[in-house]
Amino acid sequence: MKETGLKPESGMKKKNTIQARWNGLVRDWPISAILMEFTVGMVALSLLLGALIFVTVYRRSLIQNMSTQSAQIAEQASNTVRSYQDGLRNSVELIRSSYRLGSERDKRLNTIVSVRPEIIAVTAYEPETGELLNAWTGDTLMKPYFTVNLSFTSSNLPETGEAFRISPPHVESFLLNSYPWVVSISMRAKDYNGKERILVLDSNFSEIASYINNIGIGRHGYCFIINDDGNIIYHPQQQLIFAGLKEEDTVLLSRSPDGSLAAEDAIYTIQSLPDSNWRIVTVGYIDEIISESLQKCIVLLVVLLLMVVLAAFLSSFVLTRLITGPTHELILAMRTFEKKASSFHYTPIEGSSEMMELSDSFGHMVLRIQELMTRVRNEEIALRKTELRALQAQINPHFLYNTLDSIAWMCEDGRSREAVSMVNALARLFRISISKGHELIPIEKELEHAKSYLQIQKVRYKNQFEYIFEAEEQCLSYYCNKITLQPLIENAIYHGLNRMIDEGLIRIRVACEGEDVILSVSDNGVGMTEEQCRDILEGRSESKGGIGLKNVNERVKIYFGEAYGMRIESEPDEGTTVSIRMPKVERGAYGAR
Amino acid sequence: MEQGEKKRYDLRLWIFPCALILLIVVIAMFSSTLRGENRSVNRKIVLIGKSTESEFFQTVFAGAKVAATEYNVELTTCGPDTEENYLMQNELIGQAVLDGANAVILSAVDYERNAEAVEQAAEAGLMVISIDSDVDSKLVRCRIGTDNYEAGRLAARAMLEGTDEDLQIGIVNFDRNTANGQEREAGFREAMSKEPRVRSMRTINVRSSVSDARERTQEMLEAHPEINAVVTFNEWTSLGVGRAIRKLQKKDGIMAVGFDSNTVSVGLLETGELDALIIQNPYAIGYFGVETAVRLMNAESVSSERIDTSTALVTRENMYLPEYQKIIFPYTQ
Repeated sequence: MKETGLKPESGMKKKNTIQARWNGLVRDWPISAILMEFTVGMVALSLLLGALIFVTVYRRSLIQNMSTQSAQIAEQASNTVRSYQDGLRNSVELIRSSYRLGSERDKRLNTIVSVRPEIIAVTAYEPETGELLNAWTGDTLMKPYFTVNLSFTSSNLPETGEAFRISPPHVESFLLNSYPWVVSISMRAKDYNGKERILVLDSNFSEIASYINNIGIGRHGYCFIINDDGNIIYHPQQQLIFAGLKEEDTVLLSRSPDGSLAAEDAIYTIQSLPDSNWRIVTVGYIDEIISESLQKCIVLLVVLLLMVVLAAFLSSFVLTRLITGPTHELILAMRTFEKKASSFHYTPIEGSSEMMELSDSFGHMVLRIQELMTRVRNEEIALRKTELRALQAQINPHFLYNTLDSIAWMCEDGRSREAVSMVNALARLFRISISKGHELIPIEKELEHAKSYLQIQKVRYKNQFEYIFEAEEQCLSYYCNKITLQPLIENAIYHGLNRMIDEGLIRIRVACEGEDVILSVSDNGVGMTEEQCRDILEGRSESKGGIGLKNVNERVKIYFGEAYGMRIESEPDEGTTVSIRMPKVERGAYGAR
Repeated sequence: MEQGEKKRYDLRLWIFPCALILLIVVIAMFSSTLRGENRSVNRKIVLIGKSTESEFFQTVFAGAKVAATEYNVELTTCGPDTEENYLMQNELIGQAVLDGANAVILSAVDYERNAEAVEQAAEAGLMVISIDSDVDSKLVRCRIGTDNYEAGRLAARAMLEGTDEDLQIGIVNFDRNTANGQEREAGFREAMSKEPRVRSMRTINVRSSVSDARERTQEMLEAHPEINAVVTFNEWTSLGVGRAIRKLQKKDGIMAVGFDSNTVSVGLLETGELDALIIQNPYAIGYFGVETAVRLMNAESVSSERIDTSTALVTRENMYLPEYQKIIFPYTQ
């Protein structure tokens, strides 16, 4: 409170409203629940954030990975296609050398074609006219006549000096009831006569096609071959493309340089083949890979969150043990204590250090309260006893007998006036003593009581002493314990004046001193030693007056505390002053008692 | 009162974690529905053709297999021993139901007599999709294939463009109960009915086999030597017609239009016994069949109840053009 009080008012207000809102939100919530909500919330938030970051980073690295992987696959595919082309080159050399042979030529070439499964046919043409001179087709028959020959086309004619030329794949058109897809390799070659001919080697394309078919990138990714003009050489989903169910942006792919090309949902990797215009293109789909990993991520997240919830539950369990449990115990102890304070026995609770400290404090408090209660009760008992004793002192039979004797004597003497005033004084004495059972009476009444007593004693002691009242007017309305002055006066008469030869003087004073009122009784009698004074106050004196003074002192102290009470100043042969200090008590202030 | 307090305490303790778990479960479910194809791992689709040997159905199966791989479903392909055996097709449908298949893709031999088995399968909870040739059932969820009526008209157009003479037409159709053949003939007849050059038109129905088609066509051509144009509507009958014309050595006198292609019919086209072939797109039919089945099983929307696949007209003149090569000679060889 003091801290907030030092802050600027606006800030305090804001803080208060936030705090109020917060308090309103969690009002009456158990600590363990708040802690649990908080822990789970924070962990969930951080996990979600972490998952988000993880997915983003993971996605990026996956794409990177896939690019690398695709590039590797493309490289591999290009190597395979290249070795296929190298194989073709070897065949070309073989056929070229075989073609130079004389009589062995036809047999040799037919054997090559039938033994090598990748070679479908070899044909020879006249370079100028394009006339088909020879054909070696192995075991397969040629059509008796054909109008179209796709193996020998003008675009596939190699220039002089050019090693060979590879055509796009096409259907073999001159075989009987057989239409395999082939690639035609054209070359110029010389026969045994040294005449230049065009030789065309038709090589089966299915080998490379099945290789390309088996390349997979991810679940749906694939690989295909295009040429620089943007025509598809081979595509594993060729049928889908011909059926118009699928499209490839071959124009863009044929123009792009080697490397990766990221499209909307797929990554294309392009790899050109050296020594030919073919390009290997691999296609990998991003989404399938990403969503798969995302799904794994979500599964992981769910598992983690379940674990966190479990952990939070466990921690809340532990917290309940550490905080809520002890708190509940403490609350229970307090309730029990509230109901049965005096018989309550507190057993300290176990828990965290804070809890144990709290418990210890509570234990101390319980003990202190119980101690105070016992004290109050004891004081009450003592008070009643002392009061009773004070009253008993009033009806001292000796005093009553003497007084009544004095009255009787006065009546006999015919001093009826004096007798009447004596009887009145006695009556007043008892009336004030009783005071309807109140312990506190106005000082004025107490003075009246003292006067009555003095009146009676003066008669009895045959005017051996005089007395003076010196009371400050403003003190009279304050309250004091009843029968306070009387024992003091009695003491002054018995111990101070009784043994004196000279006339004694008793001075009764009431004066204010700051917040206190001092009542004092002085005599000019024989006085006392300091030891005697102490004995009187501590109740060791055996004389009757001693009991009276002690009784007064005790009552004042019980009522007003140790700071108040009796003080005796005495000088042997000079006199004694007994004074009582008590606080200014207004009417009603101690009324309850 | 103490108990009530305890109860409330427990509830509040779990509000947030429970809400969180619920949220995550919802997200997880949502993301898995987004990737519906993942759930089709153990799905079975049975494709029943009219034949397992014709080039046409081989290509249908090839397209279906590509789609099955792409959508990660288990595909079984089968067909009856002859193209008239609707009973065996019905048995195959029943077997698919027993095997716990999720979908049946059917090219029905008989428009009417396959209907009951189809309805039973649909009532057993299978998704039924018809390809190529239709079946008489309202429970078929999607029909995929050539627009047969339009294909018939295309055959008529090819015949009219192939010759300037007046036409005496012989139609060699297969089973009278097979829907696609009837639709093709109806389309052909409708297109020809407006044509003044048509002098006569007669139909014979043959069994869908090369030998029967050859014999019956030969009989027809011998009985009616005036016939100078023949049309036929599937792969086997096309071969039969071509063989009959070769046997009678009438390849120059008869304008013949067939359907579908294989190496033999392409040879007949090249040598002149056949003059035009209507090539369907069996690969697309198979591919779309499986794709549509998967989509319907995933409760995704399918654009329409009918999907028409393309057709192409191939003649001696265009057959070796690069784009036609790819249509006529699939890489499946």
